[in-house]
Amino acid sequence: MLLLHTGCSLMSEIAFLVAFIFGILFLLQERQLKRKTLGRLFHRLPPLNALEQINFAAISFGFALLSIGLACGFIGEHVLLGRWWTGDPKEYLTVGLWMLYFGVWWLRRRATLRGRRVALLSVAGFSFALVTLLGASWLLPSWHRYF
Amino acid sequence: MATAEGVDRHILVVGLNHRSAPIELRERLAVQQAQLPELLARVREEAGLQEAAVLSTCNRVEIYGRVQALDGAVDRLHRFLGGHGGIEPTSLSSRLYSYTEPESVRHLFAVASGLDSMVLGEAEILQQVKQAYEQAKACGATGKVLNALFQRALNAAKAVRTHTGIGRGSTSVGSVAVELAQKIFGGLNGRVVLLIGAGTMGEATLQRLADRGVRDVRIMNRSFERAARLAADHRASAVPIEQMPAQLLEADIVITSTAAPAYLVGRAAVVAAMHTRHQRPLCLIDLGVPRNVEPATAGLDNAYVFDIDDLEGLVQHSHQERQRALSASQAIIDQKVDRFLAWWQDEARMAGGGLPGAPRDARHFGSGARGA
Repeated sequence: MLLLHTGCSLMSEIAFLVAFIFGILFLLQERQLKRKTLGRLFHRLPPLNALEQINFAAISFGFALLSIGLACGFIGEHVLLGRWWTGDPKEYLTVGLWMLYFGVWWLRRRATLRGRRVALLSVAGFSFALVTLLGASWLLPSWHRYF
Repeated sequence: MATAEGVDRHILVVGLNHRSAPIELRERLAVQQAQLPELLARVREEAGLQEAAVLSTCNRVEIYGRVQALDGAVDRLHRFLGGHGGIEPTSLSSRLYSYTEPESVRHLFAVASGLDSMVLGEAEILQQVKQAYEQAKACGATGKVLNALFQRALNAAKAVRTHTGIGRGSTSVGSVAVELAQKIFGGLNGRVVLLIGAGTMGEATLQRLADRGVRDVRIMNRSFERAARLAADHRASAVPIEQMPAQLLEADIVITSTAAPAYLVGRAAVVAAMHTRHQRPLCLIDLGVPRNVEPATAGLDNAYVFDIDDLEGLVQHSHQERQRALSASQAIIDQKVDRFLAWWQDEARMAGGGLPGAPRDARHFGSGARGA
């Protein structure tokens, strides 16, 4: 259970990283098109729709893995400590992260958000994910001493 | 190159291109596919060529040949071309250029790479050179030397195109528009195009998009009859101008090409459309002067607007890129030419037991315009 929890959390981090990368690539390509400057970057980068699709796939994957990881965390906690919630700062942060990505995923699915804004959110999201999943343990007292 | 017996072996090219002669002259000398076998046989006989190949495109007509001895070969080729086109040889001569090795070798390599074309770096010429070679070979007109010459020319061209930017970028407004659309949408299969107006450039762009797989085309015009006629030509459907808002919802690519004095597609209309179509990307190609698409539309998210200045700027940019690639291309060609000449010397030495000639034998014949 704990293994699943850590494993999924880590993999979701990787998925968010992929979303981040493709979000950046999307923004670069979009900027080239908007500015009408077609440099070497323009020629080498894949088309916008491909970048968008991969970005969304990564967000979906990441969100799914995060959900599983989070759930396993709570279940494992219950098994270990008989409680569902410890008030660990990391828990708060991760739930926050989960809500962020839920929002992005849902809005993208319904196509309320698209393109540029999703890319920007992927960038922001990953930065937050970095802090939540890795940084928080070092900066704040937590059960998660190493991760 | 001189052999011990004093018999020379030379590679000649005689011809004209878009720089040396106007189209009226070029079209008279053009060689049809069907004429080739007979022409190749005749030129070898009348001009005394051991091997021959003919390259005939809209930009050039050139005869490549291998001869044992140079004396008079060029003049005989001039007369042959004059006879073929029904032109006085004396008036033709000033328009023809002729080279012997190494210039002739370099010329073919440069031509195949697109360095001698009207549009620098064009790709079609490579296919045309390949065809010319294969046809000459099929007729038995080529031998060891011209076979090697053409094969190496084609390889050199491929190397130039792979390793330099000579063929990169789009060099016409229509192809730039297609390139942009592809960068936004990826594949163009299944995309919807709306053409508003009926300029030649608009139609040309439409045709290029159709070549890339666009099947669903709608045509809109102030006069519905005009739209219907155009639609018939392009296997498209005509739509009345009142349907503009609905069409903006469905189209992926909108091409406007009218002389209307006011904006046909306003920012507000696009904002509304983008909202209803869930921000699906929209590409607007505005070929009109004055502009048909309100410029403020360009700032909208997921809407990409390109006016004629943007497109022509990109074409210019491509041309400049290709120019920059010129010296790198020439360097590759020089290298390949040297290798061919070295091979040829070895061949001559082994076959005729002769002495290799000076590799930089820079004789050239013919008064008048030089091609390359």
